[in-house]
Amino acid sequence: MADSKRRYVIPGDVITTGPYRPEQNVILEDKKIIATTVGISEIYDDSVKVIPLTGTYIPKSQDLVIGKIVSHSSLSWEADINSCYVGMLPASDVFGRNFQPDTDELTSKLKKGDLIAARIVNFDRSRDPLITIADRDLGKIDSGELVKISPSKVPRLIGKHGTMIQVIEMATNATITIGQNGLIVVACDNPVGLLKAKKAIQMVDEQAHMANLTDKVKEMLESNSE
Amino acid sequence: MGGRESNLVLLDENGIRCDGRRVDETRKITIKAGVLKNANGSAYIEFGDNKILAGVFGPRDVHPKHMADTDTGILRCRYHMSPFSVTERKNPAPSRREIEIGKVIKEALRPAVMLEKFPRTAVDVFVEVLQADGGSRCAALDAASVALADAGIPMRDMVSACAAGKVADTIILDVNNEEDQAGQADMPMGYMPNLKKITLLQLDGVLTPDEFKKCVETGIEGCKLVYEIQKQALKDKFFANGGE
Amino acid sequence: MTSTSILDQLKRTKIHDLLEKGERFDGRRLDEPRTLSIETGIIPKADGSARVRLGDTEVVTGVKIQPDKPFPDMGDKGIFICTAEILPLAHPTAEPGPPGEDVIELARVVDRGIRESGMIDLSQLVLEKDKSVVGIFADNSVTDHDGNLFDACAYASTVAILSCKVPKWEMKDDIPTLVEGQKSSPPITTIPVSVTMARIGDHILVDPNADEWACMDARITITTNSNGSICALQKGGDDGFTPEQIFKCSELAISIGAKIRKQIDQARG
Repeated sequence: MADSKRRYVIPGDVITTGPYRPEQNVILEDKKIIATTVGISEIYDDSVKVIPLTGTYIPKSQDLVIGKIVSHSSLSWEADINSCYVGMLPASDVFGRNFQPDTDELTSKLKKGDLIAARIVNFDRSRDPLITIADRDLGKIDSGELVKISPSKVPRLIGKHGTMIQVIEMATNATITIGQNGLIVVACDNPVGLLKAKKAIQMVDEQAHMANLTDKVKEMLESNSE
Repeated sequence: MGGRESNLVLLDENGIRCDGRRVDETRKITIKAGVLKNANGSAYIEFGDNKILAGVFGPRDVHPKHMADTDTGILRCRYHMSPFSVTERKNPAPSRREIEIGKVIKEALRPAVMLEKFPRTAVDVFVEVLQADGGSRCAALDAASVALADAGIPMRDMVSACAAGKVADTIILDVNNEEDQAGQADMPMGYMPNLKKITLLQLDGVLTPDEFKKCVETGIEGCKLVYEIQKQALKDKFFANGGE
Repeated sequence: MTSTSILDQLKRTKIHDLLEKGERFDGRRLDEPRTLSIETGIIPKADGSARVRLGDTEVVTGVKIQPDKPFPDMGDKGIFICTAEILPLAHPTAEPGPPGEDVIELARVVDRGIRESGMIDLSQLVLEKDKSVVGIFADNSVTDHDGNLFDACAYASTVAILSCKVPKWEMKDDIPTLVEGQKSSPPITTIPVSVTMARIGDHILVDPNADEWACMDARITITTNSNGSICALQKGGDDGFTPEQIFKCSELAISIGAKIRKQIDQARG
């Protein structure tokens, strides 16, 4: 933490005073910029934010998320997206515009327990977020294992320009689908690769705040190979 | 409260209390953050002989639905003592005292948590007293605060708690069980250390206006001491080995 | 136990596929319980206490001993009462409030396992026949729920009882009066050990974790005593067992019970 503009903070810590714009996880009170979560504060030229090290997932429009179908009505499915809000997937999204509630049976396409890769269509806090799976890279997930990490660690798992996730995928031959909501699907034909990929993901979850993490993960992935 | 015949010397001529402490000393306090696997946030505190576990879930869906608020998240808090936590076994069913303490702790935390960002959800705080000693509600509040931070619930400040009181006509910090039974006043306090606001305050006993002022000031100093320990607990979990 | 969260389909399928090969998701053998760790004396103010971790399930149990009135037609026996509570901080679906049928079953099964084994010789706990006896209360608080609360609570209660110290009371003017400094070991005759097994398809799994609990067809908890006799039993779940499966379960309960009994005996302190 040599850079004096980055600092570990807990809720209530005064990060700085002055004419800064408060951004994520920060509030302005009486000219003081105060952290509202446990994390790392960053001061820019005209704004201050805190990168959280914990916390729940708040849906954001266009986010890719992994969801689990938990129930359905005659018109839509409800998906657990690891958030305080439940994702709503309208039947028309899957059946198309000509969806007929009396004849088209929802469970023929998706049932309780199914995992989906979905995108958040829109979200305002007054109602549950709308999600869609109508895209080439979205839809029901047929293979792989679900891994859960803290949503706040997802950027670290992806890495700058995708560097971290590429390191893991290349070393293990796994295909990893990362949901912004902290849910991740790891698919790999090779059980050893699968185990190593899961281990690497867990490492990032536990050590996201530490320096040189990419190197450490690389080392771990290489050292175990027989 | 007070008045019981006791052989106990609450304060001797050297200013030493019945458990060996000075008037401005707290009992031994340790806090560990992140001790449970299922809860979103958790903390375990030992405050004197109090052993208390706090767990937080949320923000999450509210059941029953009619309890949800369309404009803001709600905070719920349950304070419960295990049957084996006190000298005479306690019935597992919640008593009126436990329910009141749960409410008071909730109202101490409410000013700190920022739930306006999560309409129609609830943040649930569950505190379980595994072993009780005097001042369990303050210890419970200290653990609950750390558990909320551990869960990443946005807060404008931590809440730190400690009791002050009066024994042998002297204002003391952190009242233990014997002092609570045989002393003259017990004042539990919860305080937001950066915003400098008192969010929990109760009084059992009689204080003159001057004593009251001194008691509040002493309580605030105690809360500040506990704040440092809460900070360290979060640092140990989240910032260990990261370098500063 | 409580209606746990929905298991995702991929994991459910994987659990079944692995079982066909004789394997489990967490790498255990079918007849292998999770790592058991036991600590005693964690609540010094209680008369006995223990914290048990069975995998990621954790239970804290306290034993309180105090004089009480005997049950109406059991004036020559002390009292033993066992309770259990799943603390709301133990699992997102655990709710505060009066216990539901799952929790009530948990408490009663744990209680029966200990009571029916005759573990505590209640006839040694009489202060004055028909008037005053010693009551031993074991209260289990589940602090983290990852399946198989039956065994975790049973082990925690058993160890807390084995390691407790019974105070001495004398009757003075018909009132039991505490005699300081004369604690003794509890009157123990046997060490009951419960083993819970789940049936998934044709496979019997010992010590199911929460995921396995969510996809099991039926379960059975069998308690044995130090002689290897079966002293309590409870079948649960929405499906059944064939007689052969039940016999297999009883054999597992005896052999695995013996190993766990050794560990409990060592932990009593």
